[in-house]
Amino acid sequence: MDELDFALKFPFTSEAKKLIGTMQLNKQIIEMGAERIRKALHGSSASRRVFNEPEIKDEIASFAAARMILGSLRNRFMTNIFAVNESKMVRNNLNKADPETLERISSRFGIKTKEGMLDIPTYLMYSPKSQHYRLINKKIISGKVRVTEAEELRLIEEAVRKHIEIIPIVKDAPDLIKKAGEKLLEELPKTEVKINVKAGDHPPCIMKLFESAKKHENLPHTARWFFATYLLAIGMNEDQINGIFSTMPDYSEKITRYQISHAKKRGYSVPSCATVMTYGLCCAICRVGIPTKWHNLDEKRKEEIRK
Amino acid sequence: MNDLQVVKEIFSEYYRTAKLVIPSVEQREFGIGNRKKIDARHLNFANISLFRTYLCNNTPMFVSHSTAYYEFPGTTPIQKKNWKCADIVFDLDIHAEGKYGAYAGLEDMKHDVARLVNDFIINDFGISKEHITINFSGNRGYHVHVRDPAYLPLRAEERRELVDYIMGQGLDYTKFFHFDDKKRLMGPSPDEGGYRGRLARGTIKLLNEKPSKISRKFSNEKDREFFISGINEGNWSKTTLNLKDFTTRLEEVAKSLPISSVDTDAGVTQDLSKLIRVPNTIHGDTGLIALIVDDIESFNPFKDAAIPSDKTMKIKFVEDVPEIPMVGTGVFKKDDVKELPQAMALFFILKKSAKIEK
Repeated sequence: MDELDFALKFPFTSEAKKLIGTMQLNKQIIEMGAERIRKALHGSSASRRVFNEPEIKDEIASFAAARMILGSLRNRFMTNIFAVNESKMVRNNLNKADPETLERISSRFGIKTKEGMLDIPTYLMYSPKSQHYRLINKKIISGKVRVTEAEELRLIEEAVRKHIEIIPIVKDAPDLIKKAGEKLLEELPKTEVKINVKAGDHPPCIMKLFESAKKHENLPHTARWFFATYLLAIGMNEDQINGIFSTMPDYSEKITRYQISHAKKRGYSVPSCATVMTYGLCCAICRVGIPTKWHNLDEKRKEEIRK
Repeated sequence: MNDLQVVKEIFSEYYRTAKLVIPSVEQREFGIGNRKKIDARHLNFANISLFRTYLCNNTPMFVSHSTAYYEFPGTTPIQKKNWKCADIVFDLDIHAEGKYGAYAGLEDMKHDVARLVNDFIINDFGISKEHITINFSGNRGYHVHVRDPAYLPLRAEERRELVDYIMGQGLDYTKFFHFDDKKRLMGPSPDEGGYRGRLARGTIKLLNEKPSKISRKFSNEKDREFFISGINEGNWSKTTLNLKDFTTRLEEVAKSLPISSVDTDAGVTQDLSKLIRVPNTIHGDTGLIALIVDDIESFNPFKDAAIPSDKTMKIKFVEDVPEIPMVGTGVFKKDDVKELPQAMALFFILKKSAKIEK
C-alpha cells in the first residue's frame, strides 16, 4: 500500500495529516467535508471513488474539513454520528488490509496482540461495552486476555471511533466553515426529540440510559433491548420510543421501528435486576427485583437509593 | 484541656515522626476533616515535609488524598485541575449492625484481602507486587492501592469492569463448558488463569472436602479420583453422572469464587476524583492508624495499628460497651472508670463511649 492510498483509507492518521499539510481548505473541499458528515447522518459508509492524486488529496482533506466543521459546530450528536460512520469506513478498509497495514494502525493505539493475547488495560479501553466482551467470561492469563482476530478488529474500530470522536473546538472558524455547519444543522431531521425526565422518575439504571440518549452516545444491543422493553412496559408508544432511540449515533429508523414492534408483538418482558446486572447495566442497589418495580417505592426510599 | 485537645496532641505527636509515603504527593489533591470526614478539600502540598508540618500544626481528625494525579491539584473547580490518571483503589468494607459490630469481621476479611491481592490483582491482572499497597482503613476494612502505570489511565467505566470482575458480576460459568465431537464434556483445567482455573480448582477442592455437595457418587474415593483426574486435563466426563445438566451442580463452587466484600456501593474504584484516607494517617473515629500492611495474614489492627505509647489513660464510660474480641476487652458498663492503655482509651473516647476522667 503506498502512502497516498494509506492516507486515503486512514485519514485520521498523522501520515494523512502530513500529506495535506500545506493544502488550503477551499470551498470545494469544505463542501466535500460537509458531504462527509451528511453521509454519516444518512448512515452510508461506502467510500467515495477517487481516481487520481489531486482527487485523492482532496478526499483526504475533506476529512480534515469535516472535523473543522464539527469543531466549530460543537454538536455532540453530529460528532458522534460522524465518528461511528468514519470508524465503520476504516473497519471496511481494515478487513481488506494486509498484515503490515493492520499492524501500522493497531500499534498506534497500543493494541498489540501476541499469540492472540492482549494486555488487560488496553482491552478494557477499547472493547465494546457488551456482554460478549465482558472480561469475566474471557480467558485470562496473568494480565492478558485472549482475543480472536475478529475481536481484535472490532477493538481497533472502537479505538478509531474514540480517536475521531475527540475533536478540538474551533473558535472563530472561517465563514465558509461556519456556513457549511449552519446548513448541516438546518438539514437535521426536524422531529426534535424532547427527553424530559427528572431524577427519580425512573430507576437509576434507566436514568443512565436516558443520559446516554441525551448525550447521543452509542449503546450496546443489550442496553437498547432492556431500554425498549422497559419503555414499553411503562406504557410508552412506539413513536415515543422511536424518538428516544433516534438520538443515538447509529440510529436507523427502519431497524428501530421493526425491533420495537417485534418486542411489543412478542410481549418481551423487562429483564430482572439480576439479568440487568449481568449486562453490566446495574448501577445502584435498589433491591426491587425488576426495574419496573421502582415505581412501587415511596419517594423517601427512591431518594435514599439515588444518594 | 478538653478531650479533643488531648486527642489532637496525641495525633500531633504521632505525625512528627510518622512514616508518610505518598507517591507524587505534589500532584494530589488533599482533603481534611474535623466534624466530618471531609470539611475542606482542594488542598495541595508541594512535598511530604510541608504535609507533615501541616499535620503537626493543624492536626485534623481525618486526612485524605485524591487517588487521581492532577496537573493543578489545588485549583477549583475540579475540571480545571487537569486530571492525568489515577491509582486504582479497592475498598473492602464491613457492614454490620451496631457501633462495634463490624470489628469481629476484620479477621475474616483478611482472607478476602489476601485473595483479592494474590488471586485477582497479581495473578489475573498481572500486576506486580511492587505496584500494590495494602493498608488498614483505620476503622472497618482495608484499602488496596494499585499503581501499575498501565492501569492508571483507565476511566470510570473500565474500572467498573475490574470491580465487576472481582465481584463476579456477569459471570456465566456454563460458557466455560462445551461438548466435543466425542460427546465429552470439556471444561477448564486447574492450571488455567482467571475464573476458568478458579472454577476447576474450586471444584477439586470441594470434591476433596465435601464431595456430596456436588454428588453423593463422589463420596466413593475411586469415583472421585477418577473424575478429578479428568478435570486435571480439562475433561469433565470421567463419571457416570448425566453430563447434560452437570454444570448446574457447580453453582455452589461458582458462588464462592468472587470477592463480595469489595465495596462498590460507594463507587470508590470508579470515582476518578475520589479522596481516600492517606495511608499511615490516623482515623479520627477510632484513633487507629490506617497502617500500611506488609503481611496481611499476621496483621492485628488493634495491636499493630495502635498509636505506639507506653502511657495509660483513665476514662469513664458513658454507655455500655459489649465485648469486642478483636480488641481483647471485656464488657464495660456505663459509669465504669478504667485505666487503659492509651490507644484503647483513645478508641473508646473517639467512639464516643467514654470520656477522659480527670
